[in-house]
Amino acid sequence: MISDITFGQYYPSKSVLHKADPRMKLLLTFVTIIFLFVCKNFLSLAVMAFITVLAVAVSGVPLKTILKSIRPVLIILVFTAALNIFYTKGGEVYYEIWKIQITEKGVNTAIFTIIRIVILVVLSSLLTYTTTPTDLTTGLERLLSPLNVLHIKVHTLAMMMTLALRFIPTLVEEIERIMNAQKARGADLETGSLVQRAKALIPIFVPLMVSSFRRAYELAFAMTCRCYTGGEGRTRMKQMKLSVRDFVLLFICLTACAGVIVLNIFFEAVI
Amino acid sequence: MSAVIEVKNLSHYYQKGTPLQVTALKDINLTINQGEILGIIGHTGSGKSTLISHFNGLLKPSEGTVLVDGEDIHKDKETLRNSRFKVGLCFQYPEYQLFEETVYKDIAFGPKNMKLSDDEIKERVLRAAEHTGVSIDMLDKSPFDLSGGEKRRVAIAGVMAMEPEVLVFDEPAAGLDPAGRKKLIDLIKDYHRSTGCTVIVVSHSMEDIARLSDRLIVMNNAGIAMDGTIQDVFSRADELTEMGLDVPEITKIFAEIKKRGFDVPPDVYSVDRAVDVIRSLTEGRAGL
Ligand SMILES: Nc1ncnc2c1ncn2[C@@H]1O[C@H](COP(=O)(O)OP(=O)(O)OP(=O)(O)O)[C@@H](O)[C@H]1O
Ligand SMILES: [Mg+2]
Repeated sequence: MISDITFGQYYPSKSVLHKADPRMKLLLTFVTIIFLFVCKNFLSLAVMAFITVLAVAVSGVPLKTILKSIRPVLIILVFTAALNIFYTKGGEVYYEIWKIQITEKGVNTAIFTIIRIVILVVLSSLLTYTTTPTDLTTGLERLLSPLNVLHIKVHTLAMMMTLALRFIPTLVEEIERIMNAQKARGADLETGSLVQRAKALIPIFVPLMVSSFRRAYELAFAMTCRCYTGGEGRTRMKQMKLSVRDFVLLFICLTACAGVIVLNIFFEAVI
Repeated sequence: MSAVIEVKNLSHYYQKGTPLQVTALKDINLTINQGEILGIIGHTGSGKSTLISHFNGLLKPSEGTVLVDGEDIHKDKETLRNSRFKVGLCFQYPEYQLFEETVYKDIAFGPKNMKLSDDEIKERVLRAAEHTGVSIDMLDKSPFDLSGGEKRRVAIAGVMAMEPEVLVFDEPAAGLDPAGRKKLIDLIKDYHRSTGCTVIVVSHSMEDIARLSDRLIVMNNAGIAMDGTIQDVFSRADELTEMGLDVPEITKIFAEIKKRGFDVPPDVYSVDRAVDVIRSLTEGRAGL
């Protein structure tokens, strides 16, 4: 069912992570993900895994919900694991059949990559679970605001993103409505050759475009009526302020990053 | 009278098995007879649209069965597809389904899906256009150049052109001005009279329903609360009010008049009829 698509999958709660400043959360997620790729051995990776488990634990988001976010990448996980096992060669040979060799290095790389991807997905979905889409785009806008110097219209981009996120559920609903109306007129969307099926989308696509443009005009009109003139001189009702909480998070994160570097230096690299 | 649509123990749940599960229909039993014109009324969210979406198999019952012409529509793919043509569904704001380059092509979309011959399609399009008051010179225009009311007519013609045994309208007059409403209701009534096919109309407006149908179904909280003639239903005004519905103002006034001891008929649902009744009443007086 189309309506199963969730986007901007905010999970309401009152945890530390929910209350943290979106700018800090964005920044920390970014930094942790970079350090995920700095990790060279299992010990340093364990530090990142620990941070992730800690974050999940304090986030107040149920484990089941978190695991659900991994499901879509399951295929990618299996695929990369298989590629790594079969194509990375080196170290002790565990198993050999015909031309295929399974080696120590291959297995290590596979496990390493899987953990890395899982942490990556969990961290980034944790960001969207604990931050509303509006906060997220506002945070991004503020973080990227230095780019204004380069004449990149950061505010416009952020506004476009907010609006796009806002209208995804509306569009999904609209598509479902139009599909039902055309099915009631005998439109056949499920059978036929590829060309026929592509053609069958025209009766869905045209009304969708028409109503999207109408909606866009109406929205632009409504925004103008409320004196929207773009980002310049616009103030915010909800000011973002960094608090002690944010610096504690920053401290924990930086400690972990330092740990990763130290462990990388003192222990042998496996990847 | 033979039954066209039979609904047996129908329940429908949205988002079944999640914490967000909604019971939209609960154990519905309903028989719709050949050739009748049936009104369905109920407060917002009472399950009207969900119910009618089961008639042509757009939704699959969570429990229970829907029979069209005595056949379970979910029996196989073929039956399901045929049910789409047997029961024509015209959704709320149908004008948003228009997509073709010309009005003619858009009305022809349904018949074309039925794989009819070109001549037959042409005949049906012209007939549907006549029923809905879409003029011949409008047929070559782009549907996007029409006014809102004209678009609505074209969209309705698109469903009528399939010449279904049962024609279902969800809120056909929503968003139209009073004159437009009246015209559309009359159009549906004329269509019913001239073709004799079964018509089902979902509406929020008691006045519209009263003008249209003989039999009325009242839905409340996912179930059928009342099923009877207009007169039966309107005589239970107190219960209707409890469900957030209302009988027409004029009917309420006539109930009051009757309480004051005047001999007025109980079936006054429109101002036109009221004028007639009062006139005959005063004329009767003058004769005394
Ligand atoms: N796609 C859906 N997903 C989840 N719940 C739905 C969906 N469609 C309808 N519902 C719910 O099912 C119930 C019945 O909805 P339905 O649309 O049938 O009501 P209705 O009587 O047609 O209302 P209205 O008069 O506003 O058109 C409502 O509580 C509604 O919130
Ligand atoms: Mg409805």
